Amino acid sequence: MSEILSAMSTMVIEGNFPDMVDITKQALEEGLNPEQILNNGLMPGMDHVGVEFKAGNMFVPEVLRSAKAMQVSMDILRPLLAETGIETAGKIVIGTVKGDLHDIGKNLVGMMCEGAGFEIIDLGKNIEPEAFVEAVKEHKPNILGMSALLTTTMRTMERTIKALEEAGVRDMVKIMIGGAPVTQDFANQIGADGYAANAASASDMARQLTA
Amino acid sequence: MRTNYRANSGVRFRMLSDDQLQELFDGVLHVLEYIGLEVKHEHAREVLKAAGAWVDGDRVRLPSHMVKDALAKAPRSFTVFARDGNPEHDIHIGPGRAHFGPGPTCVYFIDVETMERRPYQLSDVPNVAKVVDSLPNIDFCESLGSVDNVPYDLSALYEFAEMFRHTTKPIVAWSFDYYDSNAIHRIAVEEAGGQDAFEKRPTYIHYCEPLSPLISTTDSLNKLVFAAEHRIPLVFTPCPLAGGTAPVTPAGIIIQAAAESWMGLTIAQNIQPGLPFIMGGVLSVMDMSAMILSYGAPELSLMMAGITELAHFAGLPLWQTGGCTDSKTFDEQAITEGSLSVFFSALSGGDLCHDVGYTESGMTGSVFQLTAMDEAIGYARRITRGIEVNEDTLAVDAIHRVGPNGHYLKDKHTLRYYKSEYWLPNLIDRTSYEDWVLNGENSFKDRTNARVKNILANYEQVPLKPETEKLIDEVLAEAEEWVKQQEA
Repeated sequence: MSEILSAMSTMVIEGNFPDMVDITKQALEEGLNPEQILNNGLMPGMDHVGVEFKAGNMFVPEVLRSAKAMQVSMDILRPLLAETGIETAGKIVIGTVKGDLHDIGKNLVGMMCEGAGFEIIDLGKNIEPEAFVEAVKEHKPNILGMSALLTTTMRTMERTIKALEEAGVRDMVKIMIGGAPVTQDFANQIGADGYAANAASASDMARQLTA
Repeated sequence: MRTNYRANSGVRFRMLSDDQLQELFDGVLHVLEYIGLEVKHEHAREVLKAAGAWVDGDRVRLPSHMVKDALAKAPRSFTVFARDGNPEHDIHIGPGRAHFGPGPTCVYFIDVETMERRPYQLSDVPNVAKVVDSLPNIDFCESLGSVDNVPYDLSALYEFAEMFRHTTKPIVAWSFDYYDSNAIHRIAVEEAGGQDAFEKRPTYIHYCEPLSPLISTTDSLNKLVFAAEHRIPLVFTPCPLAGGTAPVTPAGIIIQAAAESWMGLTIAQNIQPGLPFIMGGVLSVMDMSAMILSYGAPELSLMMAGITELAHFAGLPLWQTGGCTDSKTFDEQAITEGSLSVFFSALSGGDLCHDVGYTESGMTGSVFQLTAMDEAIGYARRITRGIEVNEDTLAVDAIHRVGPNGHYLKDKHTLRYYKSEYWLPNLIDRTSYEDWVLNGENSFKDRTNARVKNILANYEQVPLKPETEKLIDEVLAEAEEWVKQQEA
């Protein structure tokens, strides 16, 4: 592996996102193709981060800085990868459902999935079912992720899925849900495709759903 | 006659100095004056603006004189009453008095028969209330769960009705919004004998939760405004996560949480001057591996002690937290975390300590944890009650009587004091090894389980007035209709 790719892996592990733009450009100038940079530079770094996180040697704030480093580089690589017809991990539209202003869990999921190479379109919080429908139509994501912290707002997930069905776009996306009161049973009950108990397993789930 | 005699009869605990508390206090005022909060409630913004707040869209900043004015209006001491007039169940909030009770809204519950974790059901509420009513060291009632098998919007209302029926101890009532808050209040007012009678002897405390960082949400303020207008004592408690939705440092999370709570205080005191107000919130760390709010972390007790001292410095009672755990089961971790936090809470003199009986980081309620913690609270209370020093307790007369080489077992001084000076355990075992074997080699868990079963088998209900029972039926029937209309 070239020295620069190895350096990129290290920078991802260290969460050195301010320097990622320069090194990504430099790698491209040196003639490396975007796929090589992604698969041999960024991903080995993120994989290492995933292993260390699960082992309890790295913690959320460090993981998020690594994910940010990955994302900064991907912002440059993604259009180039698209040009050459290379498939990236995919696109996720994410949001906290209507009535719920708690969004730290959703933000964590977004950042973790970004770290796994996904493109994230974050709609924010207190999102109406109709706004989710519009976002699915506009962005054509692989996955729609919904989050709720409150038992009261959990039901809005069901309404959102119904709205997607009514708009005829339900089958265009896989639906993932999460949040403290959400359970696998609830996910089954409302017809979601996946449930994850925390942000780390959410990015694993996103990979499974798009595999 | 003694002059200038100073007595410290209880155990005294103080972490922060006056200078440090003043720094925290000034920090809160700075946040409110220069940063402000998003106040997502038009009426509340109007109330604040009329009282001198700076309002810019949703963002509201408070000049410090407004906050100080609100603090001056709020009482430090007040009483919440037992619904049946039993003075032993009244709660006198004031300096040096720590009270304990469960928490609200867990998703799961440990089944009292099987001890298995499952969703919280309506039939669990009476059991929690009965256990609360019977335990000597549990002072107020919350339900340890959100009822799963009734219409969602009515779960807090059903919960209140069942708690009110099955305990006479004061209730801290959680609710979703205006509708159920109003329905709950109608029930309490009926039992009290009218709004005026309720105001003189309030039997429940209204619970609202703003959102961190720095948002007063619409539903929390709908509830706050309702409580203020009806003069219902109020808890206004955020639940910030250090490192997630609040600064990672204890001092930082304390000032942010206090700012969030005091925005509610300022609104409430401008609507209803002198409204009994209990400052929150629940402060702990976000575990950076498990990504949960830790209910068993030492930082919880530390941060809670800090915010308790700030509340008391500012002249407010505090909504404390303890007796809770991150453990998934009734084990050594649950008892260690629960007991230490209960003791620390008792030491800090936090006024109402809730979440006793929370397990799995607040996801699962357990009357077994609650009952075990009743023992830990009794233990802690004996220590914090301290040592009384007077001529009689010095026992010089008794020492004269017994002298060298005697014993105190049959001395009248021993007889007079041993019951009040000793704490008598309920669950802790001090028998000999032989007796322990003879009694079936029971563990602490076995004895806790037996005590829960015993309480439930021997509980005697103090019924509500017949007219209150009738009103509950009416209120629930109306509410079911209301839900149907909402869905239609």
